[in-house]
Amino acid sequence: MKKKKIGDSDISKSKDSQLIHDENKKNDVNNMISYEEKNRMNTNKEKIELPVIEVKDFNLWYDENYALKNINISFPRNKITAIIGPSGCGKSSLLRCFNRMNDVIDNCKIQGRVLFNGNDLYAKNADIRLNRKKIGMIFQKPNPFPMSIYDNITYGPKLHKIEDKKVLDEIIERCLKKAVLWDEVSDRLEETAMGLSGGQQQRLCIARALAVEPEILLMDEPTASLDPIATQKIEELILELKKNWTIIIVTHNMQQAARISDYTGFMYLGELVEFGKTIQIFEKPEKKMTENYITGRFG
Amino acid sequence: MTLEMHKDIKQLKNQVLSMGSLALDMLESSINALISKDVDSARKIEKKKEELKNYDYKIEEKTLRLLYLFQPMAIDFRRIATILKMITYLTRIGRYGKDISKITQEIALKRSPDVPINIIHMWEHIHYMISKVLEAFDKSEIDQIKDFKERDDEVDKFRWSIFRECITYMMENPQSITVYAHYIMVARYLERCGDHACKMAEKIHYMVTGTHIEIS
Repeated sequence: MKKKKIGDSDISKSKDSQLIHDENKKNDVNNMISYEEKNRMNTNKEKIELPVIEVKDFNLWYDENYALKNINISFPRNKITAIIGPSGCGKSSLLRCFNRMNDVIDNCKIQGRVLFNGNDLYAKNADIRLNRKKIGMIFQKPNPFPMSIYDNITYGPKLHKIEDKKVLDEIIERCLKKAVLWDEVSDRLEETAMGLSGGQQQRLCIARALAVEPEILLMDEPTASLDPIATQKIEELILELKKNWTIIIVTHNMQQAARISDYTGFMYLGELVEFGKTIQIFEKPEKKMTENYITGRFG
Repeated sequence: MTLEMHKDIKQLKNQVLSMGSLALDMLESSINALISKDVDSARKIEKKKEELKNYDYKIEEKTLRLLYLFQPMAIDFRRIATILKMITYLTRIGRYGKDISKITQEIALKRSPDVPINIIHMWEHIHYMISKVLEAFDKSEIDQIKDFKERDDEVDKFRWSIFRECITYMMENPQSITVYAHYIMVARYLERCGDHACKMAEKIHYMVTGTHIEIS
């Protein structure tokens, strides 16, 4: 309020009070901004409550190849978490650990814990089948089964002993609607899924994954083989699915990660370099290595 | 492809620095012309307006193109955002130089009283702030801008002090009202330039640290 003192002559009084008024108004706006700013900065450091998946001191080898090095990461519930990093950094290996797809690789050795809702996925008494039901996976290339659209989606539920036609019909409609595919295929459910376009096939795969009522969807580059329009549809779908599901997505497309994810992890040479809110990672990463990667100054 | 972008950003940075020197030069020569009542050099300043405008357009065009072509991230993004804001402030600063040179042309014709000494002192602050802002931008450092809040307060004090001084002269001698009204405007313009320097400093702080601060 120094201005008040200086301008305190009779002549400048009215102008001066106007100025003070303006200044107060200005301060209001500024306070608002800095408040939001503070909020954002606080949430950056926020601890993740009730994570769906917690990875603790996790290591993975393919023979002598040390592929994942001491990974510690928690995935927040009903959020989209993106994992980015150059090829061969271990993103997909990490993703595969969450539904134990590495079990089928002979020379794969793991160490550490992966907790799914607090239960160790790799415990001796873990129910692999139940866990895989709860953790669905979508791949880079759409891979519908060579059968009808109807059979593609009911395949999972049937495996889990759902035979009632009425229930199955309900599942079909619900999942296809969730995957925003219903309007396009509702009149040709008996036709082969191989006749669908790439984008439709990918959405069918998502619908198929949803049919067994998972809690988590793992996506390994789900739009890498799709055109921009199909990609946009899948991205919209992913944002929609976030309301009910936790989504972990591996992507090479940084803009995509920035667009759709809430949290982002950056991996390099088998290590998790940085993990944080997406806005923070892409605007002001803490680690130099992350910055070099996302600004293309790598190598 | 990304290398191409980094080349462009570097080029942009240099262009912003040239634009900054031009804007500062316009303001500096206009103040000098005002002090020495040099109408000829005041006229020359007006012509630089075109050049300043071209910088503004060209840099803006290029930053926008970089944004949609490369969708830059992190420091690249912050630098481009800062550049986009800075060119507006620099344009304003340069144009105030032009406005002051107009005033010089107005009042130099009349046998007018000299520039209040406080305007010269005020100008020293403004010159320092704008030069330091450009240096901070060039080196990506924030040391240069850490005393800006105090300097901005100081500039404000000068402005009101000049205001009162001029009013006093006007009351003493109504014939001098036109000239002193112009000097009040000059003080006002300089104060605005100081504000613009503070706004640029805020953006540079964001560019360097990723966090926003409030100076004025």
